[in-house]
Amino acid sequence: MAASKSQGSYFGLFLVGGTILCGGVAYIGSATGKVLSLVGAAILLASLAGFLKIKPLEGETPVQPSPEIMKWIGAGVALLGWVVTIGGLRLVDGNGGRIVVALLGIGVSLFGILYVLPAVFNKTAFWKKPAATSARAGVTRMAGKTTVEPGFTAAPSAMESLESTRMETAR
Amino acid sequence: MKALFRNHLLALCILALGLTVGGMAYAQTAAAPAQPAAAPPPVPPGTAELREAAAKAPTPADLAKGDPGGILTGTIADVTMADAKAGATLADAGNQIGQNKVAINFVWTLICGFLVMFMQAGFAMVESGLTRVKNANHTYMMNFFVYGCGLLAYWVIGFAIQMGGAAGNSNLGGLYPLAAEHSISLFGKTWGVFGQTGYFLAGPSYDVGVMVIFLFQMVFMDTALTIVTGACAERWKFITFSVTSVIMGALTYPLFANWAWGGGWLSQLGANLGLSHGYADFAGSGVVHSVGGMTALAVCMIVGPRIGKFNRDGSANPIIGHDISAVLIGCFILAFGWFGFNPGSTLGASSNGNLRIGTIAVATMLAGCTGTFGAILYMWIVKGKPDASMSGNGLLAGLVAITAPSGFVSAPSAAIIGLIAGLLVCVSVSFIENVLKVDDPVGAISVHGANGLWGVLSVGLFADGTSNYGGSWNGVPGSVTGLFYGDAGQLAAQLVGISTLLGVVFTLSFAINMVLEYTIGHRVSAETELNGLDIPEMGQLGYPEFVFRPEPVFAKAA
Repeated sequence: MAASKSQGSYFGLFLVGGTILCGGVAYIGSATGKVLSLVGAAILLASLAGFLKIKPLEGETPVQPSPEIMKWIGAGVALLGWVVTIGGLRLVDGNGGRIVVALLGIGVSLFGILYVLPAVFNKTAFWKKPAATSARAGVTRMAGKTTVEPGFTAAPSAMESLESTRMETAR
Repeated sequence: MKALFRNHLLALCILALGLTVGGMAYAQTAAAPAQPAAAPPPVPPGTAELREAAAKAPTPADLAKGDPGGILTGTIADVTMADAKAGATLADAGNQIGQNKVAINFVWTLICGFLVMFMQAGFAMVESGLTRVKNANHTYMMNFFVYGCGLLAYWVIGFAIQMGGAAGNSNLGGLYPLAAEHSISLFGKTWGVFGQTGYFLAGPSYDVGVMVIFLFQMVFMDTALTIVTGACAERWKFITFSVTSVIMGALTYPLFANWAWGGGWLSQLGANLGLSHGYADFAGSGVVHSVGGMTALAVCMIVGPRIGKFNRDGSANPIIGHDISAVLIGCFILAFGWFGFNPGSTLGASSNGNLRIGTIAVATMLAGCTGTFGAILYMWIVKGKPDASMSGNGLLAGLVAITAPSGFVSAPSAAIIGLIAGLLVCVSVSFIENVLKVDDPVGAISVHGANGLWGVLSVGLFADGTSNYGGSWNGVPGSVTGLFYGDAGQLAAQLVGISTLLGVVFTLSFAINMVLEYTIGHRVSAETELNGLDIPEMGQLGYPEFVFRPEPVFAKAA
């Protein structure tokens, strides 16, 4: 679909809803603030619903579905690392102990970010699939083909290919 | 007859006597203030000197002749007086000194903010230069529009969340309207979570000092936002970029910035838990660059790599940008803007130890220099060529890394921090691309994310305890001192900050962008991506007079 009038309209709605919601939050202590918050939230939800409605018009992307739950688990592991660090501040006295616990928490977070999440996203990565066996046809087949022939997209060799194509065209 | 005349004469004499006595009495009454018993209030010390100086000040007639040497302009005659008839007083002089201090700090902070704003141009050039020509308009437009998206969101709510409880900065006149921090009680202590004043810059925040801090903090926020645009270039839907930029400017960035700079819980780690001075991030390696880098990593994972980036065996193909000259000029613009970023973070040039701005500027310079050397030497030795784009990234990596410690470290330490950053960015780019299989066209995750974390860590190692910004930092007396200078507590506080960036900021960004993935979708269609985003997304080519040839892959694949 690319950019469209619908996108612009829903983005405008999103901005209006967000601004009204923030106005309500600013004066949340008053009745007017509460009303504004509700109105703003409703408009925001309406804009998101609009985005959802036009999402399929975008067309096929090369990204393949992957296990959603594992993505959230990966994010949860990252958050868990922070909980470990904060808990350590309470449970451990002394700078040395707190440094060790903080490093442990950082390690847990890094495990979630650098191991769990990439593994999930790469499990069904489109570039792993050969063009002929791609789950989807059409443009995804093209995307798959580009990934199995490095010469096509590696810039130096691509330049060479481009040059040879140009010369062939000239002949 | 004689008796009548005598009586009249007597009456006249009595009248004359009465008038004389009355006049004398009147004269005595009128002259009473002059008597020592009712002396005028004492003249304040120095007033005589002030009046003498005022008498010697050049007159308008003198000034009308011109002052080519600049020795007549700016004298006591220019001091604003409360009572012009009474002349200049010490109170007038004191008020003028106070206003001069705040004025110097206002001007310094504003000019530095203007420099940081100009960095947007540098980011636009770097990011667009490192992408392909078919996506130039789209990449430039993301860098252009992120400024508006961020500014709007920050004005509406982001500033209130970040700085709504940040009152007390004497450099900028106190910022007293910003005095409402929402706090929670935990572990028997009170911890700031987010600010609550300053929405729309209305009400009490309609204040000269608040406006200055808003401008300065806003351009910092926008720097964080623009980091993401580079990492996700060449395949990110413009609408999703717009929405996520608004949310980041409204929530993600301000939240962490409040915790670090707005009186939030990270800054209270020292006062509440005895972790030295609490989380110290002088100019934003963590607040700005790591927040941008963490968000970039989260969005990059969701949006996926560009078509053609990875081969089936997982090996990566280099996708060369279209304009290395734009990249390197952009890097210079960024390095120039960084002189606003770091020295400007003193929020003043007058008093409270702010004369350290020269040291901060030199540290910034040196770290950028050694960062460049680190990257060039790494690429030259390991890959065989002094790669231009990685050299630029090395410069930026050094600058990112020195951002947090710039106010606390010596020149040699700054050079070491920058050198390590230059090496780290090369290793990190390779790791993210070859191990994580995350496609970051401009290396933003490595430059800003990895080196932002390194910058935060380096405060806890290299801070030398010589800085003195008003005698305390984060409410804890004394100077920020790192492990190498004897304070392990500061390192612990920095590690808590790093853990928060990884655990909270990354996770929050990931969650927000997953919701946007479900509702809007981050990725353009494969067809759009292959044809280039300029026409489908922006309706116009970045370089319309260029003759495009289809990439060989498309011809063969079709």
